Amino acid sequence: MLTIATAIQDLPADFPSAGASARDVLALLDDPQEWSAFSRPSALGQGCWESSVVIEGMHCAACSLTVEDALKKVPGVLSAQVGSASRRAKIVWSSADVLPSAWMQAVQASGYRAVPANDVFASERRKRETRQALWRWLVAGLCMMQVMMYAYPAYVALPGDLSGEMEQLLRWASWVLTLPVMLFSCGPFFRNALRDLTHARISMALPVALGMLITFVVSTVGTFEPQGIFGREVYFDSLTMFVFFLLTGRWLELRLRDRTAGALEALMNRLPDSVERQLANGQFARVAARRVQVGDVLRVNPGETFTADGVLTVGATRVDEALLTGESRPLARKVGDAVWSGSHNLTGTVQLRVERIGAATRFAQIVALMESASATKPQGALLADRIAKPFLIAVLLAAAGACAWWWGRDPGHALMVAVAVLVVTCPCALSLATPAAMLAAAGNLARGGVLVRRLQGLESLARVDTFVFDKTGTLTLDAMVLHGIETRDGLAQDQALAMAAALARHSLHPVSRALVNAQALRAAAVEKSHASHTTWTCDAVTESAGEGVAGWVQTAGPAAADIKPVALRLGSASFCAVPARCVPGLQVHLCDDQGWLATFILQEDLRPQAADAVRALQELGLDVHMLSGDGAMSVARVAAQAGIVQARGACTPQDKLDFLRQLQANGHSVAMVGDGLNDGPVLAGANASFAFGQAAPLAQSKADFVILGEQLMAVVQTLRLARHTMAIVRQNLWWALLYNAACVPLAVVGLLPAWLAGLGMAASSLLVVLNALRLAPRLTLSSPTKMGD
Amino acid sequence: MAFANQKATVYNDTVVRQFAIMTVVWGVVGMLVGVIIAAQLTWPELNFGIPWLSYGRLRPLHTNAVIFAFGGCGLFAAAYYVAQRTCQVRLFGDKLAAFTFWGWQLVIVAAAVSLPLGYTQGKEYAELEWPIDILITLVWVSFAIVFFGTIGTRRVKHIYVANWFFGAFILAVALLHLVNSAAIPAGLTKSYSAYAGVQDAMVQWWYGHNAVGFFLTAGFLGMMYYFIPKQAERPVYSYRLSIVHFWALIFTYMWAGPHHLHYTALPDWTQSVGMVFSLILLAPSWGGMINGIMTLSGAWHKLRDDPILRFLIVSLSFYGMSTFEGPMMSIKTVNALSHYTDWTVGHVHSGALGWVGLVTMGSMYYLIPKLFGQKQMYSVKAIEIHFWTATIGIVIYIAAMWIAGVMQGLMWRAVNTDGTLTYTFVESVKATYPFYALRLLGGLLYLSGMLIMLWNTMKTVTGGRSVDVKVPSSLAYA
Amino acid sequence: MDILYLLIPLSVILVFVILGGLWWAVDRGQFEDIESEGERILKDT
Repeated sequence: MLTIATAIQDLPADFPSAGASARDVLALLDDPQEWSAFSRPSALGQGCWESSVVIEGMHCAACSLTVEDALKKVPGVLSAQVGSASRRAKIVWSSADVLPSAWMQAVQASGYRAVPANDVFASERRKRETRQALWRWLVAGLCMMQVMMYAYPAYVALPGDLSGEMEQLLRWASWVLTLPVMLFSCGPFFRNALRDLTHARISMALPVALGMLITFVVSTVGTFEPQGIFGREVYFDSLTMFVFFLLTGRWLELRLRDRTAGALEALMNRLPDSVERQLANGQFARVAARRVQVGDVLRVNPGETFTADGVLTVGATRVDEALLTGESRPLARKVGDAVWSGSHNLTGTVQLRVERIGAATRFAQIVALMESASATKPQGALLADRIAKPFLIAVLLAAAGACAWWWGRDPGHALMVAVAVLVVTCPCALSLATPAAMLAAAGNLARGGVLVRRLQGLESLARVDTFVFDKTGTLTLDAMVLHGIETRDGLAQDQALAMAAALARHSLHPVSRALVNAQALRAAAVEKSHASHTTWTCDAVTESAGEGVAGWVQTAGPAAADIKPVALRLGSASFCAVPARCVPGLQVHLCDDQGWLATFILQEDLRPQAADAVRALQELGLDVHMLSGDGAMSVARVAAQAGIVQARGACTPQDKLDFLRQLQANGHSVAMVGDGLNDGPVLAGANASFAFGQAAPLAQSKADFVILGEQLMAVVQTLRLARHTMAIVRQNLWWALLYNAACVPLAVVGLLPAWLAGLGMAASSLLVVLNALRLAPRLTLSSPTKMGD
Repeated sequence: MAFANQKATVYNDTVVRQFAIMTVVWGVVGMLVGVIIAAQLTWPELNFGIPWLSYGRLRPLHTNAVIFAFGGCGLFAAAYYVAQRTCQVRLFGDKLAAFTFWGWQLVIVAAAVSLPLGYTQGKEYAELEWPIDILITLVWVSFAIVFFGTIGTRRVKHIYVANWFFGAFILAVALLHLVNSAAIPAGLTKSYSAYAGVQDAMVQWWYGHNAVGFFLTAGFLGMMYYFIPKQAERPVYSYRLSIVHFWALIFTYMWAGPHHLHYTALPDWTQSVGMVFSLILLAPSWGGMINGIMTLSGAWHKLRDDPILRFLIVSLSFYGMSTFEGPMMSIKTVNALSHYTDWTVGHVHSGALGWVGLVTMGSMYYLIPKLFGQKQMYSVKAIEIHFWTATIGIVIYIAAMWIAGVMQGLMWRAVNTDGTLTYTFVESVKATYPFYALRLLGGLLYLSGMLIMLWNTMKTVTGGRSVDVKVPSSLAYA
Repeated sequence: MDILYLLIPLSVILVFVILGGLWWAVDRGQFEDIESEGERILKDT
């Protein structure tokens, strides 16, 4: 229920205890143990460090230069570099002259925010990988261009025009320039092929590596023994072109992976979690959350998160545990009750004694469950890989067969024919078939607000037959919505709401937030109709945790007939001394000293597209289930509204996972849609999974798809696109097979010259990519009512 | 290790000033010689029977003066200025930089003396005899040391794209010069090329076309990529594209040379390679042109009021035109018409006057006021007039040459039904006469524009004073 | 066309020099984070 958390962020600046001051938190970074998480010692000198931070708020390339200047002005900062695309800054500073909080504040002062890049080591690894991939691709590209130039004369020269020595020279030059390609660019293919062999497995890497190796060896022999059996033709141009195309495909995949991985690793980049801990002298001091020990006494203010499991010792409050349990209502907690790490403190300042930290907390246990679910996730073999095995065998047989057939007449020619077979059946189209389609689909989805974290998710999604939805925050909107107002005779609904909102403004409780929102909507409507506008204010507000809010309310408007301050109470039935009603949904009552004034009924609202999405899925032939950690009554109500027949409530994360495993054991392929941490394990274990963009970061990290736009129809559209993608992949694979089927006989008979083989390979690869591009501009999520293609 | 230039607090603009002024001076000189030989082609009596005034000897003086004196000084000035500003460090090796200036001026003067005297190696754009070739080598090596030394001691991690273009230009010219000018001396003023016959022709045109590609293109693209953003006060349209443009250009240029030798003794397949790679060259060239012009995207109105920007942007459109015309002319069938005609001269001059000339003028107009502590040139109106005279001059020039060239090609290949040639050679010469006169007019206009620039420059320089610009203080990059 | 015995090996060497230049540039991160580099020159004198 992250909207509570975001509501906390939206607090007015003067709201009491809106959170620790920014400076206190920055000061935590001045501890060497803290800064070493995102810095390393710099070679520039003793006590010099190189730190990586992420800069937020930059919207143009010039902004990065502003930040650089601001950083460089701080004494003690030796150098600063800010990348505008990566939004990262690298700062070299001397610990003898300055501490991190000083230069972090310099960034703040220039109008931007800096957070430590705790993912810097992960992103450095990825950067190194990307650099290597770029290098390999550049080598292949440059050498391909030059080798093609050296090969060209042999193709165009009329007989007798090109002397034997000249041709020799050109072949030699081509050979020399193919060496870097073999040494640098082909590395990954050979390594993967070797790994396949040692594990007795066949994937695309093997035919590719085999093709490269044989082509190179044959062409090399042809270069140095032009009179020998291989001397008739060399294939360096085909080889380099081949490598370049394959590397281009890999390069594109890498860029996509970088974009999504980067977005999620970035979730690690936060200021350190901190909490107030009681010292020996009874005072409280702010420390980093990682320093908390079992037995410590912590003080947690409203709006903060509990950073450890513990027992309340002082105070009472309401907490939001939705992240962990999916429970949609805030729960009351008093002295002696347990609180969990990861839950939010809503209403009162409390103190607790720490009982469990780190891996022992309930939070960590859910994470562990998630990791284990992900490790045992069913991995179907990829379609392309399943085809590769018989294909490779067929190719080898064809080559060997052709060789054997020609051997009797001319051994030299026989080997050349075998090579031609291998070259023409290059698995270019096969190995491009899947990635090209996946990437096009991923690009399409990205434009529609769906982030693809795992390309293979598209393949898995196309095969699912069951969908499981979480309830709270997934099928329903996060916030409570005002559904009805009942008032005492003589009191207008609008006035009752305005009075209640005046009180509610001073409370963090989600019910209060809902009332304030409802009032804001009505006020906007009133303004549009130009009716007179009165403002209600409230003084001397007191909140009783778990009960309600009381205060003196009056109007402050132009009208002379102002209402004098009147004491009101807003809260539970007992708080207002009113009998409770039996209606579905949450009731909040308003009363004054004389008695009951009004009752407000609030409910969780279904997302606007929920019913449509469920129906669309059912029409596509899928089974739809709902699992929730919430109570049976609200589960039943929501299921009925959404049109889901099979719904279950009161599920713990383990319950959800067991249900999933049961379905999978029965032979079903399951897709899961969720948002909370409690959905994490089942998101990790499902065949395909969706998380919302506002979902818990850890839940997002295990999902295959992240829906940024909060629209449920995106799920349906992604499913449709996934099925379409697999159709295109199958088309591509068929094309690759047909093309090979046509060309192999030609090569066997010896009718296929090398240049034609190379051209055919390029053309078939291009066709595959163009076919994949049909997946590109189709998905639109702009209007919620559109069902998509 | 800290070098002396890294500790300096002001830039070395002295050598920049020297080169910038000489660019304008040699521009006038080179174009004046051009006008003289254009007049001589129109009216051969203007040879006066004097050997050292004869067309044959003055033509190489013209080409060397405009390419190496005018263009060369402009490139030196720009390279030294841009390298310092983008690396935020003073030039590496003040004494060496000074040597490059005085050495280069000595090369030019030596050329101005030796060429009219008839001392020549007979290779186009490489006519200077071997002692001058050695001096060129010394100056060039020094240039490389100063330039790369400055880059190596820079205080900004990223090497701005213009510097890549300058660097490639310096290294390529070094290689080309060393290979092509290899000669066996036979006396102080005479040498024989190390290569002979069609082999020599191949080397010469490998050199010749790469001289165009790296001296006249890459070098000036470096100028363009700095001065257009600075004058327009906007960054390059796509910085990423500029990097791709650079790498694509340098490895396609290397093999376009044979297109100068179509239908000669060069083997057919070599000619074909030249043709294909000249065509491929079209793509990166136009990429660069689009990148430069689109820098003004969203600020086209600046062209209305700023004549300097007009010089720079219009130079790019001539660049685009020439890099389209070139590949077209390298197609064998087109070349069969154009080879040896004045169309080639038209093509060269659209590139030289349109691209090289205008971008150098625009860049000097930007530089000169700044070097002398002025906000702008003495007379902005004069820049306007210069722009229009130059542009009209270019258009007249190339139109005249196109018409003349196509006409010559058609006349030379016209055959009668019985297989004899329709026209004698001298008839084509007579028919070309009016176009030579027109071309002379175009050249005169271009020269007068240059004279206006000389006047404007002198007024700006004498009205201002040499300023020292501080190097921004920042410490070494990590 | 004996001159090609000089020019072709020369061009091969040239390719290696260019590859070396490319490797140096990639290794030194010259191709990373380049969006702001176009703006940088506008800031100084």
